[in-house]
Amino acid sequence: MPNEPRRRYVSTVVEVEGREERKIVETPDFDVAPWPADEALAIVGARVPRIDGRAKVTGRAVYTSDITLPGMLHAVLVRATSAPGRLADLDVAAARRIDGVVDVITAADLPRKVRVNALPLFGSDIVYVGQPVAAVCAASAAAARAAAAVMLREESKGDPVVDPMLAAASPEPRVLETQLLGGEPEVMQRGDVERGLAEADVVVRREYRTPSALHTAIETHAAVAQFDGERLTLWESTQGIFRVRNEVARAVGLPRSRVRVLMDYMGGGFGAKNHAGAQSVAAALFAMRTGAPVRCVLDRIAEQSDSGHRPATVQRVTLGARRDGRLTAIAADTWVALGAGGWDGGPAQIYHQLYSCPNVRTREHCVYTHSQPMAAFRGPGYTEGAFGLERAMDTLARELQLDPLELRLRNFAARDERKNREFSANGLRQCYEDASRRFGWSTRAHGASGGPRRRGFGMAAQVWPAGGGPPAYATLVLQSDGSAEVLAGTQDLGTGARTVLAQIAAQALGVPLSDVRVVLGDTERTPYTGNSWGSMTTASVGPAVRMAAVDAQARLREAAAALMQCEAGELDVCDGRVSSHDGRHSMTVAEICKRLGNVMITGHGSRGPNEPDLGLMSFGAQFAEVEVDPETGQVRVLRIVATHDVGRVINPTLAESQLVGGILQGLGYAMFEERVLDQRTALPLNPTTHDYKIPTMADVPAIDARCLGVPDNRANHIGARGLGEPPVIPTAPAIANAVADALGVEVNEIPLAPWRVRAALSATGPRGTA
Amino acid sequence: MVKLTLNGRERTLEVQPTDTLLHVLRDQLHLTGAKPGCERGECGACSVLLDDDNVYSCLTLAIACEGRRVTTIEGLAEGDALHPLQEAFIAHDAVQCGFCTPGQILAAVALLQREPHPTEAHIAAALSGNLCRCGTYPNIVRAIQAVAERADA
Repeated sequence: MPNEPRRRYVSTVVEVEGREERKIVETPDFDVAPWPADEALAIVGARVPRIDGRAKVTGRAVYTSDITLPGMLHAVLVRATSAPGRLADLDVAAARRIDGVVDVITAADLPRKVRVNALPLFGSDIVYVGQPVAAVCAASAAAARAAAAVMLREESKGDPVVDPMLAAASPEPRVLETQLLGGEPEVMQRGDVERGLAEADVVVRREYRTPSALHTAIETHAAVAQFDGERLTLWESTQGIFRVRNEVARAVGLPRSRVRVLMDYMGGGFGAKNHAGAQSVAAALFAMRTGAPVRCVLDRIAEQSDSGHRPATVQRVTLGARRDGRLTAIAADTWVALGAGGWDGGPAQIYHQLYSCPNVRTREHCVYTHSQPMAAFRGPGYTEGAFGLERAMDTLARELQLDPLELRLRNFAARDERKNREFSANGLRQCYEDASRRFGWSTRAHGASGGPRRRGFGMAAQVWPAGGGPPAYATLVLQSDGSAEVLAGTQDLGTGARTVLAQIAAQALGVPLSDVRVVLGDTERTPYTGNSWGSMTTASVGPAVRMAAVDAQARLREAAAALMQCEAGELDVCDGRVSSHDGRHSMTVAEICKRLGNVMITGHGSRGPNEPDLGLMSFGAQFAEVEVDPETGQVRVLRIVATHDVGRVINPTLAESQLVGGILQGLGYAMFEERVLDQRTALPLNPTTHDYKIPTMADVPAIDARCLGVPDNRANHIGARGLGEPPVIPTAPAIANAVADALGVEVNEIPLAPWRVRAALSATGPRGTA
Repeated sequence: MVKLTLNGRERTLEVQPTDTLLHVLRDQLHLTGAKPGCERGECGACSVLLDDDNVYSCLTLAIACEGRRVTTIEGLAEGDALHPLQEAFIAHDAVQCGFCTPGQILAAVALLQREPHPTEAHIAAALSGNLCRCGTYPNIVRAIQAVAERADA
C-alpha cells in the first residue's frame, strides 16, 4: 500500500535512557494508523501465557552456557587480585605446563588494541580487583581454572580510593587521567535556584546515600565461539546482538559481515549485558587461534566482581517551597562512584523531570574509583535519584504539614519542563489516584501493630524516558503451511518480548496466536533492532512488527483475490480466514498458502521516527506499608501497591510480572543489597550470591501492581511505551518513606539494614506517637 | 563407576570421584536443564531430585548417587504431558527468563511430595534456597498453591 513518494531518509533525535543522539533514520514506506484507543482488540491486550513457557518449564530452552559443541575447549579469564597495581610478567610457561592447557592470550597476543569498558583489554595498569589481564583455554574448565591460578604476577602500586568524595577531592587523579568523567562536574539548570530559594517559605537541605548494587542475573555472562576459517559464529548471553557483533568484529579484526552473533534464551541481563566483554573477545580469539569451538562462562565471583554495578551515590539535595507546597527550587549536588569507567547515567535527570518547578540545578560529579566500572542497571540514575528526590519531598511534606501525596499532586508536571516540551501523555495523576485508592492511603491507620513494632506508610513516584524509536526492522514471512514467522533481531531477556511481538503480529495479520512463531536474536537472519535497553523493545520493535504484518496482510489479500477472483479491497483477514465482506468468498490462510505453493508472501516493517519535541515518558506511583521493630531495627515490608502508566498494555499478565520483578529489585535495593568494597584494599567483600543479598521468596511482601492501560497513540501506532525499568525506580524511596513514617525519624541512607535503622533512631530520637 | 536411576532409566556412568552431579548431568549427559548459576551452593538453579529430596547438584558428588534415583527437569514430564507443576508455572506466569525455573519446579515437586498442602510460609521457607532475579516469586507461590488445591479435589 505505497503512498505518494516521500523523503525516505530523515534526520531525527533518538533518545535512550535520557541521552539524545541525532541519527539518520528511514521513514516507513507507508503509514499504519493507530489502533483506536477505545477499541477492544482480541489478541493485543489479552492475558495469553508466555509462548516460550513450555520450553522454559521443560528445560528445553537452550541458554548460551548450555551450548556444547564437538571438541569444545573451555576458556577462563585471569583476573587481578589487588589494585591499584601493575602487571608484572605473566607466567605463561607455568600455565602451559598444566595438563590440558591449549592456549594462552595476553595483551601481546591481541591482534589489535581492544578496549572493554573503555579500558585496554589485558592492559598492565590494574585499576580494580577482578580486572581481566589474560585468558587461558584448555580441554576442561578445571584445567583452565588451574592454569589461570598460576599465571598471575602483580606489583602493588599504592593505596586505592573507593569513596567518591575522597576521590573527587584528591588533588591528583588517582584512578584514570582525570578524577571525574568528562573532567568536570556536569551542570544542568533552568531558571535561577538562588532566586527560587529566596522566594521559598520552607527550605529542606539533606544528604542522601545510596549503595552500589549488583545486577546478579542468575545466568552469568557467557560466550561460545566457533570459527570455520572464514566466519566467526558467537553465541552470547547479551541484550544486544548487533552491538556485540560490531564490538567483537572490531576486536578480532574481521568484517562485521563475517561475524554472526546468536542469542536465543538468556538468563537475565538487567543492563549488565549490553556490550561484548572480555569473555566474548577471549572465546572468539581462542576459536580463531585453535580452530576449536571455545566456551567462556564467568563464574559467580567474576560475575559479581566484573560485570558492572549500579554506582553508589551521595546526593546533597535542597528543596524550596511556598507554604502552599508549590516548589520554588530544586538543587542537587551529586557524587557518583563510577568505578574505573562508565557513563554519565547519574541521579541528576529525575530532579529535572518528575515535578513542575521553575528553578532547578544539578551538579553531577561522576567520580572514578578503584572498582569495576559501572554498567546500566535497570532504571540507571533515575533509581538512585528517585531515592534522594522522593525522600526530600517526604521531608518537605512533613515540614509543610502536608500529606505527601497532596504535595506531589500540587507539583504535578503537566509538561516536560526539562526540555520545555509536551509529554505525549502523562497519566501520573491517574496513577496516584488508582494506587492510593487500592492502597487505602486516605484511611491508613498509624501506630503500634502489636508489641513494640510500629507501622508506617510511604509513597513515591517515577518518570522514565520510554518512547523507544528507530531504527528497528521486522520481517513477517507466511509459510506454505499458512503459519507466520516473525523475524526481528531483538532479544527476550525474560521480559516476554517474544510473546508480545507474536501478539502484535497475530493481531495485525488476522491469524490466531498459535499460528505465529517469533525468531529473534540472530545477526545473520533477523533484521536489525537495537539493544534491549532503555525500556525500548516493545515501543521500538512492536510498531515494526505490526507494520510487517500489515504489509504481509495486504499481499495476502491480493493473492487471495486472485485465487477467489474478486478484489483485494473486498477481503478481510480475521482469525486465520480471508473472507469477502458479503460472505461469498472465504478461505483459510492455510488453504491460500497451500494453493500458492512456493509463492512467498513476505511483509516488511520499520519503526518510524518519533514526533519531534515531544517527551515520551512512562510514569508510575508506588505505595508501601512497613512494620519496624525499633528495638532491633528490623524492617519488614508488608505490602506494595503500584500503578504505572506505560500506554497500551500488550499483555497485562506479562506486564504485571515485570512490574513485580522491578518492585522486588527495588525492595532488594532498599533493604539489603549493597556491594561492599574494603576501603583500604578495594577488595570486593561480598562477591557471591550468599553474601550479596538479593530478595528470596521469604522476603516477598504482598504486591498489587497494575498498569493504567490507556493507549498513547501519539507515541507510536501501537500506543505502547516502555515498562521494563519504571517499576524499580520508586520502590526504595516508598519503603524508606514508610520506615521514616513508622519511626518518626529520617532514614537517609539505604539499604535499610537494622544497624542503619538503629543509628537513625539514636541520631534523632523517636518523634511523634507510636 | 556409579550406578543410578536417572529419569526412570538405570544408568551406569563413568565418573571421576571429584565430579559433581551437575557436571556429569550437563557435560557428560547433555542434560542442561540444571543450570550453573553459582556452582557454590547458593542459588539453587542446579536443583535436582535425589530420591524424593531436592538437592543442589553442584554440591552433590556424582559418586554419592550410587543406587539412588536422580530426577532432572527433563524427566518430569511424561511424554508430551507436562507435570501439573510445569502446567501451573506456565498458567500463572511463574517464569520470566526461565533460567532458575527448572530448579524452582523441582524444589516445588519435592515440597509437595513432603507436604501436599503447604501454607504460604512453608512454600517460602522451602523455596527460599532457589533464587530468582526476575521476581517470579509471587507467581511461583500461586502456581504451587493451585496444584496443591487441585490435589485436594
